[in-house]
Amino acid sequence: MHAFVADRRRLEFLAYALFIAGVLAMPLFIDAFWLNRIAKYLVYGMLGLAIALSWGYAGILNLGQGLFFGFGAYMAAMSLKLQSYTSLQQGSDKPIPDFMLWNAEPNAPTDLCCINEGSFLWLPFQAQWFGMAMAILAPTLIAYLVGSAIFRLRISGVYVAIITLALVLLTRLLIIDAQPVTNGFNGLTDLGWLTIGGFEFDPYMTQTYYLVAAGMVVVLLATRLLVATRAGLILQSTRDDPNRARYLGYNVAAYQVFFFTVSAAIAGFAGMLYVIAAEFASPTFMDLTFSISMVVWAAVGGRASLLGACIGAILINTIEASVSESEMLQEGWKLIIGFLFVLVVLFMPRGLAGLVNDMLDRIEAMLKPGAARPPATTKTAAATAAEKPGE
Amino acid sequence: MADVIFIGLSLSSILLLIALGLTIIYGAMGVINMAHGELVMIGAYTAVMTGIYLGFNLIAALPVAFLVAGGIGFLMERAVIRHLYGRLLDTLLATWGIAIILKQAIRLEFGLSFLDIHIDGLGTGLQNVAIPAFLNQPWSIGGIEVQSYRTFIILLTVFLALVTWFLMYRTSYGIQVRAIMRNADMAAACGIDVKKVSSLTFAYGSGLAGVAGVMMAGFKTVSPDMGSSLVVDGFLVVVVGGVGSLLGSVASAGFLGQVNGIFATYSNDILARAVVFGVVILIIMWRPQGLFSFKGR
Amino acid sequence: MASAKGKALTIDGLTVDFGGFKAVDGFSMIVGDGELRVLLGANGAGKTTLMDLISGKTRSTDGSVHLYDLNITNQEEYRIARAGVGRKFQIPSIFRELTVEQNLIVAGTREPSVFRNLTFGINREGRRRLEDVVELTRLGDVLDRPAGELSHGETQWLELGMLVSQGARVILLDEPTAGMTQVETQKTAELINRMKGDHTILVVEHDMAFVREIASTITVMHLGKLLAEGSMAEIESNQAVRDAYLGSGGIH
Repeated sequence: MHAFVADRRRLEFLAYALFIAGVLAMPLFIDAFWLNRIAKYLVYGMLGLAIALSWGYAGILNLGQGLFFGFGAYMAAMSLKLQSYTSLQQGSDKPIPDFMLWNAEPNAPTDLCCINEGSFLWLPFQAQWFGMAMAILAPTLIAYLVGSAIFRLRISGVYVAIITLALVLLTRLLIIDAQPVTNGFNGLTDLGWLTIGGFEFDPYMTQTYYLVAAGMVVVLLATRLLVATRAGLILQSTRDDPNRARYLGYNVAAYQVFFFTVSAAIAGFAGMLYVIAAEFASPTFMDLTFSISMVVWAAVGGRASLLGACIGAILINTIEASVSESEMLQEGWKLIIGFLFVLVVLFMPRGLAGLVNDMLDRIEAMLKPGAARPPATTKTAAATAAEKPGE
Repeated sequence: MADVIFIGLSLSSILLLIALGLTIIYGAMGVINMAHGELVMIGAYTAVMTGIYLGFNLIAALPVAFLVAGGIGFLMERAVIRHLYGRLLDTLLATWGIAIILKQAIRLEFGLSFLDIHIDGLGTGLQNVAIPAFLNQPWSIGGIEVQSYRTFIILLTVFLALVTWFLMYRTSYGIQVRAIMRNADMAAACGIDVKKVSSLTFAYGSGLAGVAGVMMAGFKTVSPDMGSSLVVDGFLVVVVGGVGSLLGSVASAGFLGQVNGIFATYSNDILARAVVFGVVILIIMWRPQGLFSFKGR
Repeated sequence: MASAKGKALTIDGLTVDFGGFKAVDGFSMIVGDGELRVLLGANGAGKTTLMDLISGKTRSTDGSVHLYDLNITNQEEYRIARAGVGRKFQIPSIFRELTVEQNLIVAGTREPSVFRNLTFGINREGRRRLEDVVELTRLGDVLDRPAGELSHGETQWLELGMLVSQGARVILLDEPTAGMTQVETQKTAELINRMKGDHTILVVEHDMAFVREIASTITVMHLGKLLAEGSMAEIESNQAVRDAYLGSGGIH
């Protein structure tokens, strides 16, 4: 039995190693255009992983993850917008976003402090580090406050899903409404490049790819380690049976808030990297569709597997991009995604990762009969896990 | 002030029209049907298609849309939902998949676009449906001018709410549905054909979505994407009202519609919607079981 | 006996009012340190509600609960648990997706803070305690199995083991043998007898054979109030108990 567990650990280690090697070797095989695309999908991979952390490990289905991604993206984009040549060509020594000038009142002062009522909010973003730091801190803080409110009231399951969903849509509307400060529907475009120590990260350069890839790899490994800590174990116990955990002396809400916040911080970081690679931030990040898409990726990859969810996100988006040359194919692909998703929920609640696990079980059973447990029992455990959050 | 209330009332009636079917489906079966908005969209397209090919006006399209959307709902229940009872979040995800499928079916003209065959009225483009002439003139009551189409929607909503109430509380079918709502296992033990009643309930709720779609077609451009935001509105109404409570849904649609109407009048539509979301979040946090949930536990 | 070894659990005038219905009504009881106390009573006598009140699941409207010298009345569940009250539910509740070993690790952490649990594995002291519990519950063969795959009896023993790991000084057991086979019941009785002494145990149980196996002192509840207290023999001959149970022909 112990040997069995050790084997499986080694296989998991191998899977992580192969995946990371693949990600790092990518620039050897593809051109700058595709490298930039893949960089964006690695960011989506982080989102899938963040969903797996909250949904698979904590049993919290967050349908508003776009809120944190969007905040991260906007914070980073505000800084990069002020770095953009479009903000510097205004004859003033201080940069001003072009859309603010276009929409300014005729006699408004040409200064970031007071060109309109809200423009002063942009002042600290003149320092690039401020925007990048806020990209992680703002989502973390918001998630902490929201999570504290939700989980201390012991709200769970579908109500968490609905609250987070309403919250992201609410924020989206506020951003659109705050047009003078956020450029409304159009979002922030024409951004400058991230500059560290004089080095400019052109989104189509290999260095930028590695910046994003390194971010993703670090987050993946750190999260994997995090769930293996005792705190990670306790978190999973609160998912399985919050009352039992409570009567063992754990403040369940504190664990839920902590991991909800970590998941949000990852999404914020992802938003920041996305802006660096994609050069825009838009209210569409807070669309209902985008937040649910993240859940779809995680479900297809495997909600209970960080690596699976990550790969699921990258895979789905890469396929989608490869069929995007023809509009027909793209529409057809969406149709396939719809079917795939229904099938996964019906027949593969643990996603691709679960499929791989079952296959390994079967191989194991064939190699050493009697040693491995029958795969049927693990399936029932998964089925009950799938039912759990809905109760 | 009266005109503001009328605007609110009109918004409320649309909310209720969308939420009515969801209330029954979520309440009776514990299924979060994310494809509900797409069923509304199917209803709207039924109005478009019957208009183009059969020359039907909106009112004639109502029963057709009820049957078409109801039929699709029936198939959905049989093929997918049935296997997921008791797994609330999974129904949410699976029906999201169905929503994508329905949307793509319209966009791709049932797949015929692949063969380069195009059907007038379908596809990715926008469609418009004309309101019948007799519903197009404004009329005035008590000194304020109101649109007769909006008034018609309000009346139709009241009518459908009453029909639904009658079905649920005054027929043996309704007793069976309510028994299943409280305790499906017990209902089955009492000899209720839970599967059959569930299919029919799902079909009825979906049919109501179809009817809502026809009415939406009269004042909104019809497109394959029109459904996604509607399902959210529907859900907020249902959750705020209290799961499975018809009266709760009526009250919560009335309340949220008025909130929306009042804020839209004094600020703008975007902020008004944001306020509605905010109010809903606060209500759920204050009373997760909804304002009008039935007692017990 | 109780006074000599100190009071582990002191319940004084405990009352809960559910809108006019008092499920527990001015109930008082003292359980001595290391004692095993059985709580008897018909359905609706208020036994489970009493456990809910002690463990913090339900808030009392009057009266107090002390754990040794500590007032734990109406504290949050996790605080009461940290103070040293362990509770086993009637329906076994364990972490189904975690392995048996992980279940015991979670139970035995002895550290509630999220941040101080951000390290791996358990220390030597924790490992030693874990081995003791495995020895006590005889779950050594299934340590690597997901707890959801255990048999009904094993699940119950795991839950008992978790209460021991938790370091609970007072353990509340709600019908620990419900749904068990004869053999499993026997093993559970042995397990509880071995836990006795190190832990103060309060058991709700209907199975009289099992009660004879484990009990020293019995407390009988009736309609939320204390009806009688004493040894098995005293309770069996108690007139008030006989009267209360007359309809069901006494307790057997």
